[in-house]
Amino acid sequence: MDAPPAVREKVGWWAPTSSQWAVRAELAVKAIFDLINQMQAAGTIGRYAIGGAVGATFYLEPSATLDVDIFVTLPMGPSQALLSLAPLYAFLLSRGGTMEGEHIVIDGWPVQFLPAADALDQEALAEAIETEVEGVRTWVMPAEHLAAIALRTGRPKDHNRVLQFLEQNSLDEARLQGILQRHGLTTKWERFQDKYLGDAHE
Amino acid sequence: MNKREMRRKLASLSFAEKINILEKLRDRSVTIAASGLRRKKDATSQNLKVDTQTRR
Repeated sequence: MDAPPAVREKVGWWAPTSSQWAVRAELAVKAIFDLINQMQAAGTIGRYAIGGAVGATFYLEPSATLDVDIFVTLPMGPSQALLSLAPLYAFLLSRGGTMEGEHIVIDGWPVQFLPAADALDQEALAEAIETEVEGVRTWVMPAEHLAAIALRTGRPKDHNRVLQFLEQNSLDEARLQGILQRHGLTTKWERFQDKYLGDAHE
Repeated sequence: MNKREMRRKLASLSFAEKINILEKLRDRSVTIAASGLRRKKDATSQNLKVDTQTRR
Protein backbone atom coordinates (compact mmCIF):
# COMPACT_ATOMS: atom_id res chain seq x y z
CA MET A 1 0.00 0.00 0.00
CA ASP A 2 1.34 3.42 -0.86
CA ALA A 3 1.81 5.74 2.04
CA PRO A 4 -0.88 8.41 1.98
CA PRO A 5 0.88 11.72 2.70
CA ALA A 6 -2.46 13.29 3.58
CA VAL A 7 -2.76 10.98 6.57
CA ARG A 8 0.23 12.40 8.40
CA GLU A 9 -0.69 15.91 7.36
CA LYS A 10 -4.21 15.66 8.71
CA VAL A 11 -3.94 13.54 11.81
CA GLY A 12 -0.52 14.63 12.95
CA TRP A 13 1.92 12.83 15.17
CA TRP A 14 0.07 9.59 15.72
CA ALA A 15 -0.08 8.68 12.04
CA PRO A 16 2.51 6.16 10.84
CA THR A 17 5.31 7.59 8.75
CA SER A 18 5.31 6.70 5.04
CA SER A 19 7.79 3.87 5.44
CA GLN A 20 5.93 2.47 8.47
CA TRP A 21 2.70 2.54 6.53
CA ALA A 22 4.20 0.56 3.67
CA VAL A 23 6.09 -2.01 5.72
CA ARG A 24 3.31 -3.60 7.69
CA ALA A 25 4.75 -7.10 7.34
CA GLU A 26 6.99 -6.18 10.27
CA LEU A 27 4.90 -5.51 13.34
CA ALA A 28 5.53 -2.07 14.82
CA VAL A 29 4.51 -3.32 18.25
CA LYS A 30 7.12 -6.07 18.03
CA ALA A 31 9.75 -3.38 17.39
CA ILE A 32 8.51 -1.52 20.48
CA PHE A 33 8.90 -4.61 22.68
CA ASP A 34 12.35 -5.20 21.21
CA LEU A 35 13.42 -1.66 22.06
CA ILE A 36 12.02 -1.91 25.59
CA ASN A 37 13.93 -5.17 26.08
CA GLN A 38 17.12 -3.38 25.03
CA MET A 39 16.33 -0.65 27.55
CA GLN A 40 15.82 -3.27 30.26
CA ALA A 41 19.07 -5.04 29.36
CA ALA A 42 20.87 -1.68 29.63
CA GLY A 43 19.49 -1.26 33.17
CA THR A 44 17.47 1.86 32.33
CA ILE A 45 14.32 0.16 33.57
CA GLY A 46 13.70 -2.79 35.84
CA ARG A 47 10.68 -5.01 35.31
CA TYR A 48 8.05 -4.03 32.79
CA ALA A 49 4.67 -5.33 31.69
CA ILE A 50 2.16 -4.42 29.03
CA GLY A 51 -1.09 -3.07 30.46
CA GLY A 52 -4.16 -1.30 29.07
CA ALA A 53 -5.92 -2.35 25.89
CA VAL A 54 -2.86 -4.02 24.34
CA GLY A 55 -2.33 -6.06 27.53
CA ALA A 56 -6.01 -7.03 27.55
CA THR A 57 -5.65 -8.21 23.95
CA PHE A 58 -3.51 -11.06 25.28
CA TYR A 59 -6.70 -12.50 26.84
CA LEU A 60 -9.54 -10.98 24.81
CA GLU A 61 -10.40 -10.34 21.19
CA PRO A 62 -8.41 -7.41 19.75
CA SER A 63 -10.07 -4.01 20.04
CA ALA A 64 -8.97 -0.72 18.55
CA THR A 65 -6.57 1.36 20.59
CA LEU A 66 -4.35 4.27 19.77
CA ASP A 67 -1.55 3.75 22.24
CA VAL A 68 0.45 1.20 24.20
CA ASP A 69 0.63 1.37 28.00
CA ILE A 70 3.82 0.01 29.53
CA PHE A 71 4.12 -0.20 33.32
CA VAL A 72 7.71 -0.10 34.53
CA THR A 73 9.80 -0.18 37.64
CA LEU A 74 12.64 2.31 37.65
CA PRO A 75 15.98 1.70 39.29
CA MET A 76 16.64 4.29 41.99
CA GLY A 77 20.10 5.41 42.96
CA PRO A 78 21.02 5.90 46.65
CA SER A 79 21.13 9.70 46.26
CA GLN A 80 17.80 9.89 44.41
CA ALA A 81 14.75 11.11 46.26
CA LEU A 82 12.34 10.92 43.33
CA LEU A 83 11.81 8.46 40.52
CA SER A 84 12.59 9.95 37.14
CA LEU A 85 11.59 8.87 33.65
CA ALA A 86 14.34 11.07 32.17
CA PRO A 87 16.85 8.23 31.55
CA LEU A 88 14.09 6.19 29.88
CA TYR A 89 13.17 9.06 27.56
CA ALA A 90 16.84 9.77 26.81
CA PHE A 91 17.34 6.12 25.82
CA LEU A 92 14.34 6.08 23.49
CA LEU A 93 14.94 9.51 21.99
CA SER A 94 18.49 8.47 21.10
CA ARG A 95 17.00 5.54 19.17
CA GLY A 96 14.52 7.43 17.05
CA GLY A 97 11.63 7.95 19.46
CA THR A 98 9.91 11.33 19.53
CA MET A 99 8.13 13.01 22.42
CA GLU A 100 4.48 13.96 22.01
CA GLY A 101 2.83 15.10 25.20
CA GLU A 102 2.76 12.25 27.69
CA HIS A 103 3.66 9.71 24.99
CA ILE A 104 6.82 8.74 23.25
CA VAL A 105 6.21 7.75 19.66
CA ILE A 106 8.05 4.62 18.55
CA ASP A 107 7.55 3.26 15.03
CA GLY A 108 4.41 5.36 14.70
CA TRP A 109 2.83 4.09 17.91
CA PRO A 110 2.42 6.41 20.91
CA VAL A 111 3.74 4.57 23.96
CA GLN A 112 3.01 5.69 27.49
CA PHE A 113 5.39 4.60 30.24
CA LEU A 114 3.79 4.44 33.66
CA PRO A 115 6.00 3.95 36.69
CA ALA A 116 4.53 1.36 39.06
CA ALA A 117 2.77 3.83 41.34
CA ASP A 118 1.39 1.62 44.09
CA ALA A 119 1.25 -1.90 45.49
CA LEU A 120 -1.28 -3.03 42.89
CA ASP A 121 0.96 -1.97 39.98
CA GLN A 122 3.99 -3.55 41.65
CA GLU A 123 2.16 -6.82 42.22
CA ALA A 124 0.98 -6.82 38.60
CA LEU A 125 4.58 -6.41 37.45
CA ALA A 126 5.88 -9.07 39.81
CA GLU A 127 3.30 -11.59 38.56
CA ALA A 128 3.44 -10.60 34.87
CA ILE A 129 3.23 -13.41 32.36
CA GLU A 130 6.09 -13.98 29.97
CA THR A 131 5.15 -14.40 26.34
CA GLU A 132 6.61 -13.64 22.96
CA VAL A 133 5.63 -11.85 19.77
CA GLU A 134 7.36 -13.30 16.73
CA GLY A 135 10.42 -14.28 18.68
CA VAL A 136 10.61 -11.16 20.87
CA ARG A 137 10.17 -11.86 24.58
CA THR A 138 7.79 -9.63 26.51
CA TRP A 139 5.59 -9.56 29.61
CA VAL A 140 1.88 -9.00 30.02
CA MET A 141 0.00 -8.22 33.23
CA PRO A 142 -2.20 -11.04 34.57
CA ALA A 143 -5.85 -10.72 33.52
CA GLU A 144 -7.04 -10.19 37.10
CA HIS A 145 -4.58 -7.34 37.63
CA LEU A 146 -5.61 -5.73 34.33
CA ALA A 147 -9.22 -5.93 35.48
CA ALA A 148 -8.39 -4.53 38.93
CA ILE A 149 -6.40 -1.63 37.43
CA ALA A 150 -9.25 -0.92 34.98
CA LEU A 151 -11.67 -0.90 37.90
CA ARG A 152 -9.38 1.47 39.82
CA THR A 153 -9.09 3.83 36.81
CA GLY A 154 -12.85 3.72 36.37
CA ARG A 155 -13.50 5.42 33.02
CA PRO A 156 -16.33 4.02 30.88
CA LYS A 157 -13.83 2.32 28.55
CA ASP A 158 -12.15 0.72 31.58
CA HIS A 159 -15.47 -0.60 32.86
CA ASN A 160 -16.17 -1.92 29.37
CA ARG A 161 -12.91 -3.85 29.50
CA VAL A 162 -13.83 -5.41 32.86
CA LEU A 163 -17.14 -6.47 31.32
CA GLN A 164 -15.30 -8.04 28.39
CA PHE A 165 -13.14 -10.02 30.82
CA LEU A 166 -16.25 -11.23 32.63
CA GLU A 167 -18.17 -12.08 29.46
CA GLN A 168 -15.32 -14.18 28.18
CA ASN A 169 -14.72 -15.93 31.52
CA SER A 170 -11.11 -14.78 31.43
CA LEU A 171 -10.85 -14.11 35.16
CA ASP A 172 -10.09 -16.41 38.06
CA GLU A 173 -12.77 -15.26 40.51
CA ALA A 174 -10.85 -16.21 43.68
CA ARG A 175 -7.67 -14.53 42.45
CA LEU A 176 -9.56 -11.38 41.48
CA GLN A 177 -11.28 -11.20 44.89
CA GLY A 178 -7.91 -11.54 46.62
CA ILE A 179 -6.47 -8.66 44.58
CA LEU A 180 -9.52 -6.45 45.19
CA GLN A 181 -9.32 -7.06 48.94
CA ARG A 182 -5.57 -6.56 49.20
CA HIS A 183 -5.73 -3.26 47.32
CA GLY A 184 -8.86 -1.71 48.76
CA LEU A 185 -11.04 -2.07 45.69
CA THR A 186 -13.96 -4.06 47.08
CA THR A 187 -16.25 -1.04 47.35
CA LYS A 188 -15.53 -0.08 43.74
CA TRP A 189 -16.19 -3.69 42.74
CA GLU A 190 -19.55 -3.72 44.52
CA ARG A 191 -20.55 -0.47 42.82
CA PHE A 192 -19.44 -1.88 39.47
CA GLN A 193 -21.53 -5.00 40.05
CA ASP A 194 -24.58 -2.95 41.06
CA LYS A 195 -24.24 -0.72 38.01
CA TYR A 196 -23.44 -3.25 35.30
CA LEU A 197 -24.34 -6.72 36.51
CA GLY A 198 -27.56 -5.97 38.38
CA ASP A 199 -28.97 -9.06 40.07
CA ALA A 200 -26.65 -11.37 38.15
CA HIS A 201 -24.01 -11.26 40.88
CA GLU A 202 -26.33 -12.04 43.77
CA MET B 1 -20.85 -18.11 13.03
CA ASN B 2 -22.59 -15.90 15.58
CA LYS B 3 -21.02 -12.89 17.26
CA ARG B 4 -20.19 -14.73 20.47
CA GLU B 5 -18.42 -17.53 18.59
CA MET B 6 -16.52 -14.99 16.51
CA ARG B 7 -15.33 -13.20 19.64
CA ARG B 8 -14.27 -16.50 21.20
CA LYS B 9 -12.40 -17.42 18.04
CA LEU B 10 -10.62 -14.05 17.96
CA ALA B 11 -9.74 -14.35 21.64
CA SER B 12 -8.18 -17.76 21.04
CA LEU B 13 -5.68 -16.45 18.46
CA SER B 14 -2.02 -16.16 19.41
CA PHE B 15 -0.82 -12.87 20.87
CA ALA B 16 1.20 -12.16 17.71
CA GLU B 17 -1.87 -12.70 15.51
CA LYS B 18 -3.91 -10.43 17.75
CA ILE B 19 -1.20 -7.75 17.64
CA ASN B 20 -1.33 -7.94 13.85
CA ILE B 21 -5.10 -7.32 13.93
CA LEU B 22 -4.59 -4.54 16.48
CA GLU B 23 -2.21 -2.76 14.11
CA LYS B 24 -4.68 -3.06 11.24
CA LEU B 25 -7.47 -1.68 13.45
CA ARG B 26 -5.26 1.24 14.35
CA ASP B 27 -4.35 1.90 10.72
CA ARG B 28 -8.05 1.90 9.91
CA SER B 29 -8.79 4.37 12.71
CA VAL B 30 -6.03 6.65 11.45
CA THR B 31 -7.35 6.46 7.89
CA ILE B 32 -10.89 7.27 9.03
CA ALA B 33 -9.61 10.19 11.08
CA ALA B 34 -7.66 11.45 8.08
CA SER B 35 -10.58 11.13 5.67
CA GLY B 36 -12.23 14.23 7.06
CA LEU B 37 -15.59 12.47 7.35
CA ARG B 38 -16.00 13.51 10.96
CA ARG B 39 -15.14 17.08 10.14
CA LYS B 40 -17.60 17.08 7.22
CA LYS B 41 -20.29 15.78 9.53
CA ASP B 42 -19.54 18.58 12.01
CA ALA B 43 -19.60 21.13 9.21
CA THR B 44 -22.91 19.76 7.97
CA SER B 45 -24.49 20.04 11.39
CA GLN B 46 -23.14 23.60 11.67
CA ASN B 47 -24.68 24.43 8.28
CA LEU B 48 -27.99 22.97 9.40
CA LYS B 49 -27.92 25.17 12.49
CA VAL B 50 -27.18 28.20 10.34
CA ASP B 51 -30.01 27.26 7.96
CA THR B 52 -32.44 26.86 10.81
CA GLN B 53 -31.46 30.22 12.29
CA THR B 54 -31.70 31.91 8.87
CA ARG B 55 -35.19 30.55 8.32
CA ARG B 56 -36.35 31.99 11.59
